[in-house]
Amino acid sequence: MNPIDDQLNRLFRAARKPEAGDFPVPFGLETRALAAWRGAGRREAGLFDMGVLARGLVVAIVIMGASLWPVLHQTTDPFSAYLQDSDTTLASDETP
Amino acid sequence: MTDAEVAECLARGREGDEKAVLELFHYMYPHVAKLVHANLPAKESAEDLIQKVCIKVMSHLNQFSGKVPFLHWVSRIAVNTCLNQIRHEKRRPEIRLADLSEDEANVIEQLATTPGELDASQKMAASELVEKLLEGLKPADRLLMKLMYLDGHNVQEIAKLTGWSATLIKVRAFRARAHLRKHYTLLMKENA
Repeated sequence: MNPIDDQLNRLFRAARKPEAGDFPVPFGLETRALAAWRGAGRREAGLFDMGVLARGLVVAIVIMGASLWPVLHQTTDPFSAYLQDSDTTLASDETP
Repeated sequence: MTDAEVAECLARGREGDEKAVLELFHYMYPHVAKLVHANLPAKESAEDLIQKVCIKVMSHLNQFSGKVPFLHWVSRIAVNTCLNQIRHEKRRPEIRLADLSEDEANVIEQLATTPGELDASQKMAASELVEKLLEGLKPADRLLMKLMYLDGHNVQEIAKLTGWSATLIKVRAFRARAHLRKHYTLLMKENA
């Protein structure tokens, strides 16, 4: 083995920390972890509500659009058709 | 805790059972603590980082799909959090003999002159010297060297812990090792 590699390996072996056996849970971490889990659950529920709201809004827009479509895209203007009818009536009344 | 027990706890947790969630927390906590202690960036408090990892895991608990074992999923979160912290640390471009303490310089001399292992009294200096050498590496390489040489994990274990492929690990390890060798040789020449 390359002497430098051998020295590096010995250096790493010496630098290894002894395996720490026990890690007590710090005070309050359990509560904070539970709060984080609950918070995530609430956020997810909130997102679901927003989804329902958005879907409702889209459906409302579609219904509104569908009901307004015939009015907005009528080939003849209803008001001008009314005036034309009136003129015809007047003309027929003046005829002796 | 077996995979089936973890799945059961998760299912109970999804139904709102806090006891089940706490069981999972106590199951994963020693694992997180061990990983964070082993890969702790130099200027970071272990307790803060453990807390950060635990809260991240708990807030994403409902997103765990079960495709990988629970502890592997937790490990990846812990390792990535450590890696992000290491990325915030300044990278030291090159280490000079003048940057080392007397004890660290003695360690280099001892390694060069005697073939045996270092004394127990030199462990602290060796550990500090390794930290200084690792500071010259890229964050991912630094983390890999710690997992490989300080924690003694093999390539397969590191792949499970990090989610990296075996090829990527080998390439990174080769590159990092070459970098360490170069810097260590420079130190040796200065010391001679």
